[in-house]
Amino acid sequence: MERLRLPLPLPYIRVNRDGRIVSYSALAEEQFDLSNGHIRSLIDEESINKLVRISSETGLAPIKMELNMITKEEPFALFDVHLQWDTENYASMIFLRKDSSNEELIEKLMNIQHRLASSDFELLEKKEELESALKRLDELSGPFIPLSDSLCMIPLFGDITADKINTISESCLQSVFRGNYEVVLFDLTAVGEVHADGIEKFIQLVKTLNFMTGDIIKLIGIKPNLAKELNHHKLDQWVQFNHSLKEELSMYSHKRHD
Amino acid sequence: MTHIETLASFLLEGDPDKAWTCIESYPKTARPDVYHHLITPAMRHIGHLWETNKITVADEHLATATCDFILSKLSFGIRKAPSADKAMFLCLDGEQHYLGLKMVDSLFREHGWETRYFGPDLPLEYALQTAEIWKPDVIGLSVSIVYHLPKLQQYAEALGNLPDKPNILVGGRLAGMYDLSRYGSGNTIILKDLPETEEWLLDYRTGGPQSGTITTPTSPPLYKS
Repeated sequence: MERLRLPLPLPYIRVNRDGRIVSYSALAEEQFDLSNGHIRSLIDEESINKLVRISSETGLAPIKMELNMITKEEPFALFDVHLQWDTENYASMIFLRKDSSNEELIEKLMNIQHRLASSDFELLEKKEELESALKRLDELSGPFIPLSDSLCMIPLFGDITADKINTISESCLQSVFRGNYEVVLFDLTAVGEVHADGIEKFIQLVKTLNFMTGDIIKLIGIKPNLAKELNHHKLDQWVQFNHSLKEELSMYSHKRHD
Repeated sequence: MTHIETLASFLLEGDPDKAWTCIESYPKTARPDVYHHLITPAMRHIGHLWETNKITVADEHLATATCDFILSKLSFGIRKAPSADKAMFLCLDGEQHYLGLKMVDSLFREHGWETRYFGPDLPLEYALQTAEIWKPDVIGLSVSIVYHLPKLQQYAEALGNLPDKPNILVGGRLAGMYDLSRYGSGNTIILKDLPETEEWLLDYRTGGPQSGTITTPTSPPLYKS
């Protein structure tokens, strides 16, 4: 093993086909423990196969590879290793430590990515929460109120959307079927905006109720904007329209007193 | 290209959308199958590409980050079970290979466990502190680089000797390659892969044998410390 006098700015090691070190630069001696005299002892166990395979496959062309190496300072450090065989069957190797400032950058990038990912999932979580809150809101927007043995009322609150009507339909149908009502009132006083698909679902619900129970279905508390919308759907054959809950109740109490 | 190679190439491109489509088009849908038969082999393939000098460590970092995102997306929505058994998961100090650990964490959650996942590079003192307060039933350790093995013994002993004597599970790439039993202590269980971990989970529920890996492969290379 010979130490080269040439002042090379990077660690340099020359090995024979068996991996024995024949010469080395001053910097190589400074960075690596060369006492074993073999290239193997400088390379992480699991990188040795890589070195052996890659270096045996290459001809006389220079090749670059990444290897994990054992230095005097670090027991596991990533290097770019440049290697070239010469015609005398010796390989010249130059070792370039992967810039550790790169690693810092990678780490920072990973942290940012991690934060992005977690906020992404937090958002998804919030979205799910919001969806279930909206569903809950929908469920509570069509309460079933039995007024007497023969009269029940379902006031609708808020905008009429397909989702909302779908959500309340099931419980509404079940509650109506369970009783023996003659008249079902839908109170639309507290309805805000009306969506076209919402009104379609609502009409389906009304039709179903009418078919299944034969009950009289009455819509009360209809505001002008809603009246316009409902007018397109020729509901007269399914429902009766009355003006307000007050009128409906007074009619009902007259009937009882008769 | 096989499904595995396709996924690996999308991960290396750092394209989570394409990678996700690839996972979605995989014929098996159960998480453990996707983990064991698709994602793990894809990441192994990426390791192989490094060994054959086709890619660099920087490429691997990008693939890891992309895969990490995919794993988070896959395990999103597993509900927490508040009164369940508790498990915490960590990689040894300096160990950066955490994807397997993350899959194991999700597997435990899927089995109804409450988990704490610490990911890569957790110093022993911090692990001890947390474990002492949180009192997990199981502590899962992951190790993938031979050079970190000597630390495994230290972790397994210190954590296994906590007052509540948690079960110490050891997994990671090396668990499937070498006999790691001598790095453990009394309550250390070595699990070589995900199917074995799943089996352990089922046995834990039914009180069956909890021996961990039975095959004894070769000893790992020794490291001068």
